Amino acid sequence: MQKSLLFTYIILIVLTILSPLLATYVVVKPIIYIIIIFSVIKFLLVGYQFMELKNAHTFWKAIFTIYACLIGGILMILL
Amino acid sequence: MNTTDIEQNNPKLLSNPPGGLLIWIVIYLELLTYGLAFFSLAYYGSIEKDLFHKHSQLLDKPIAVVNTIILLTSGFLIAKGVHFFKYKQNQKSGRYFTLAMLFGLTFLVLKMIEYKGKINAGLDMDYSTFFMFYWLMTGFHWVHVFVGIIILFFVRKMIVKNDSNADVLDVEAGAAFWHLCDLIWLILFPMLYLLF
Repeated sequence: MQKSLLFTYIILIVLTILSPLLATYVVVKPIIYIIIIFSVIKFLLVGYQFMELKNAHTFWKAIFTIYACLIGGILMILL
Repeated sequence: MNTTDIEQNNPKLLSNPPGGLLIWIVIYLELLTYGLAFFSLAYYGSIEKDLFHKHSQLLDKPIAVVNTIILLTSGFLIAKGVHFFKYKQNQKSGRYFTLAMLFGLTFLVLKMIEYKGKINAGLDMDYSTFFMFYWLMTGFHWVHVFVGIIILFFVRKMIVKNDSNADVLDVEAGAAFWHLCDLIWLILFPMLYLLF
């Protein structure tokens, strides 16, 4: 449990540092997509690991995952 | 532990998500509300692409990155705090909650510094559509973090006093609200600071 929390935290920090580094290059579609995917991954990691959704009923996991993917998808289409 | 206790503490039950049903209804309502705001921001951003790009460059990316790391660290500390509380290590859990609150306060202070810079530069809510979104969305988020710290303060108090009323569900619910602040910021940060 403790190790998985630490591992999750490290991934979150790495993705957070990588996102602005990517955005310093010309903001083109593939970069936008990568930053959005990073954000969705971070969102899911916080939900599943820190909020312990991984232990919850499938219903709660499904709504959470659908929400994250929906937001990511809308951003990819509009931006 | 009798059967009723086991049923009450089983997070696999639909009616018993971690932190309890009520906090998750609040979380999803908040996410829905913010979701509409995210959609509006993206929609107007797609219409006024150049303006949103130009004005997002006026924001302080380094402060935002540091703030993201601070908020995630705080979330990590709270997750650890909940973990230790479940293993009856209340004093250790309390220390993690204290640290998390300090990180939360740092976030608020850094955001105030950022706000001061924007106000001094005349970048207020009337400056442009982008800044209207910036002030409204980060402002509401600021309030959430502030309320979150107050909630954590009372949860921590309950934990360190070894209060017999201190229930895992209450601690998890307080923590879940704090993580909600993380969740909102994780979408808000790239949208305002990186994507336009």
